[in-house]
Amino acid sequence: MSVPVTSSFMLGAREGFAAFLPVSVGLVPWALVMGMAMSSHGFSPVEAMGMNLIVFAGTAQLGTLPLISSDAPLWLIVVTALALNLRFVIFSAAIAPGFHGVGTPQRWLSGHLLTDGVFATCAERMLQVDDPRWRLGFYLAPSLWSWLLWQSFTLIGIFAAGIVPASWSLEFMATIALIVLLVPMARIPPMLVAALAGGAAATLLRDMPLRLGTVAAIIIGIAAGFLAEHLEHKRRQS
Amino acid sequence: MNDTSLWVIFVLIGLATTLPRASFIVLGNRVQLPPVLQRALRYAPAAALAAIVAPDLLVVDGSVDVINAKLGGGIAAVAAALLSRNPWLPFVVGMAVLHGLRQLGG
Repeated sequence: MSVPVTSSFMLGAREGFAAFLPVSVGLVPWALVMGMAMSSHGFSPVEAMGMNLIVFAGTAQLGTLPLISSDAPLWLIVVTALALNLRFVIFSAAIAPGFHGVGTPQRWLSGHLLTDGVFATCAERMLQVDDPRWRLGFYLAPSLWSWLLWQSFTLIGIFAAGIVPASWSLEFMATIALIVLLVPMARIPPMLVAALAGGAAATLLRDMPLRLGTVAAIIIGIAAGFLAEHLEHKRRQS
Repeated sequence: MNDTSLWVIFVLIGLATTLPRASFIVLGNRVQLPPVLQRALRYAPAAALAAIVAPDLLVVDGSVDVINAKLGGGIAAVAAALLSRNPWLPFVVGMAVLHGLRQLGG
């Protein structure tokens, strides 16, 4: 009995891995930068790997680093992380039907491992296959591979940063990494509006107490993007 | 940064990551987000990223300064990300411009 069960999972895993392998190469520079950024913000290797293992999210880690090292209030750090992770609520909703027939513990594991690359690779295929074991294999193989790559190369980055002098300003790599995440998003006009409004508001409101300006800026950015989408829609209809 | 609170911060950021990711995967298709909210939330990541990056590039010693090495490096990184698919290029170009401008500025 257990033979066909295992092989169905393994077949899915093999296919998922093959589909994800080329995409996963892009994780390497990210993970290296992540490791270097955490080190240059003053984290010890244990702290840096601790954050990496607990959080496992490049954007949320990079985005909260400057807040953590400038002693921003805890709630602001958490709100910022939530804002950076909101896209996952949408990804999660989109991929959820692919977990029909999968047990709850596996769903939690899958949820924890959900990343942009894995979502992009797996979402469509998972909704087309009936066998839940095949689907779970197809999802988990790329997810676990991405986890392993991420953890290994972050570790390398952490130790690479240790041998680089502080005058090289490696922490600027974290800012560049955020820019690299932002650029492809902002190719869509309303998204660009959201980014410009959010960036301008955060700069103008930077002296608000408790760094409330950052939260206000995120809300202003969302509103501006939503409004821009609305106007674009109206213009197309008229 | 004190040590205990750092770990608390990590756990909270971890929760703020795993819960949104696991939300609908664990709940299944019993619950659905209102479509208007789904559309609005798509703008959250771009707004949040820009809200973190912009002050870092534009503010020098507490006031807005549009001529500084960090902004130069940032613009170079944006250009590299727009023009090339090489994932390393924005880092190389951005860091090179940052250091080049700093050398020039003394």
